Amino acid sequence: MRYETVIGLEVHVELATDSKIFCSCANRSGDEQNSHVCPACCGMPGMLPVTNKRAVDLGMTAGMMLNCHINRTTTFDKKSYYYPDLPGSYQTTQWFSPVAVNGTVRIETENGPKDIRVKQIHMEEDAGKLVHDTLSNTTLVDFNRTSVPLIEIVSQPDLSSADEVVAYLERLRSLLRFAKVSECRMELGTMRCDVNLSIRPEGSDKLGVRTEMKNMNSISAIRRAIAYEVDRHIDAIENGTEELVQETRRWDDEKGMSFAMRNKETAGDYRYFPDPNVMPIVIDDEWYGRIQGTLPPFPEVKKQQLIDQGLTEYDADLLTQSRVLCDCYDAAFAASGLAKECANWIATNCLSILKKNGQTMDDLEIDGDRLGQLVKLVGDGVVSNANAKKILEVMFEEDVDPKAYAEANDMIVSNDTDAVMDVIRGIVAANEKDANDFRGGNEKAINPLFGKCMKELKGNCAPQQLREMLIACIMEG
Amino acid sequence: MNKEILVRLEKLNQLRLTEEQEAETLAFFAEREADMAIVDAVDTQEVERMVHVMPLENVLREDRAIEPFEREALQAGAPAAEDGYWQVPRTVD
Ligand SMILES: [Zn+2]
Repeated sequence: MRYETVIGLEVHVELATDSKIFCSCANRSGDEQNSHVCPACCGMPGMLPVTNKRAVDLGMTAGMMLNCHINRTTTFDKKSYYYPDLPGSYQTTQWFSPVAVNGTVRIETENGPKDIRVKQIHMEEDAGKLVHDTLSNTTLVDFNRTSVPLIEIVSQPDLSSADEVVAYLERLRSLLRFAKVSECRMELGTMRCDVNLSIRPEGSDKLGVRTEMKNMNSISAIRRAIAYEVDRHIDAIENGTEELVQETRRWDDEKGMSFAMRNKETAGDYRYFPDPNVMPIVIDDEWYGRIQGTLPPFPEVKKQQLIDQGLTEYDADLLTQSRVLCDCYDAAFAASGLAKECANWIATNCLSILKKNGQTMDDLEIDGDRLGQLVKLVGDGVVSNANAKKILEVMFEEDVDPKAYAEANDMIVSNDTDAVMDVIRGIVAANEKDANDFRGGNEKAINPLFGKCMKELKGNCAPQQLREMLIACIMEG
Repeated sequence: MNKEILVRLEKLNQLRLTEEQEAETLAFFAEREADMAIVDAVDTQEVERMVHVMPLENVLREDRAIEPFEREALQAGAPAAEDGYWQVPRTVD
């Protein structure tokens, strides 16, 4: 018999806020355990949560990017469960009136475009992290992540293959990154995905037994997990290897297998009820309009704009991977009018400095307008390429005006050709052997002379012009 | 509330009550149910459901992180802490 796979996803995305969702502790990962904690996010009795406005802004932004209806009155509820990573023994989430509902995400499949329905997007707080300490045979608890703002994006079971799942996740990632909702980095856990999967005979409209898989932290792990789970389901149905039950399973990527976790508590067991401590959020037209006004164009629309400005497909693709890069480029282009050059300075020089500093493209902080001024100085022949790279390095460290910095540090290209010629003559006279070798046909002999001239001129000369003048000088002599 | 529900709640909340505690808890809930019965008897059909005591909405704060609370102070009341972590009995998922 032929089977079809039915998959729905629950995707958790950490919101890019500075502080947590219900308290003012920093939302920052990777720091020492329990260094961003307070009585509120540690679940101490008597603390009142106060909602972070930016988290709501980003929840709305995500909803709008995924074509959702935004609920103008959105509320928070308590979801009770008992586990050491949840200090209050309940998670504040949205059950009755989530921020966004009924959206769609369009993906490309081998059979053409397909719309995946989004059931809802709700905001909630993250749980802490548990470390199992084998030495003392106890569990250690870190609450830095507790109360970090998340959105959970719940799809309808519209996906039917691992390829579609990957296309959907990549599309989500692209949209949410571009709207600066989240960095969506699976390897850092800022994007996490649970896969609900069942199979059924092809053409049937009845859903089979559904299992939920957790703990996949890469796209490739998700592919492997889906393939494994489909095989397991088919095996159970056709060969009776096991009885399928609705359950939560953990994917073990090293073993390449999934394992049953604790029995999934049903919705009733979570005892959802409205949280009386978190006041309702009412989104008026002004607020709605303000968020709508901040939405970026879809990445592919922006990409086409960049190509129309004269960028290569490759550069346009690279820039639209990150809104930060894109914004920097837009400002630089506005300041200089030099599309290709600006893209090139970002794609090569800026990214290589970031890489050297161990940072990602989203960490680019230099002023795009000033980058544009620098690119224009190079384009106008006022500053040499080599010196401009040095200025760029400084711009990463401090906020400097490129022209003022170039003037103050003797980095302006000399227009005085007589002065340049004087330098060249001096160098040629002092290095007769190299000059003679060049005259004798050894073309490489010009290199040391060129280097010495450039050094004497402090790089303030267009290389091609210098080379031509140097050749002329040698051949004259 | 009855014994069956209580046992299930114990399991969900990872509690182990003695028979004496179970009896106490059941008696406690029986009293509360009696209280609830008084409230339930009131005709509330015309009364709007209330979740929040105060008629407030949009109680929001700006997204600014402040200095963290002192960890040692927070862990002072913890039964066990280790190396800056709270320490709890081994939890197996
Ligand atoms: Zn806190």
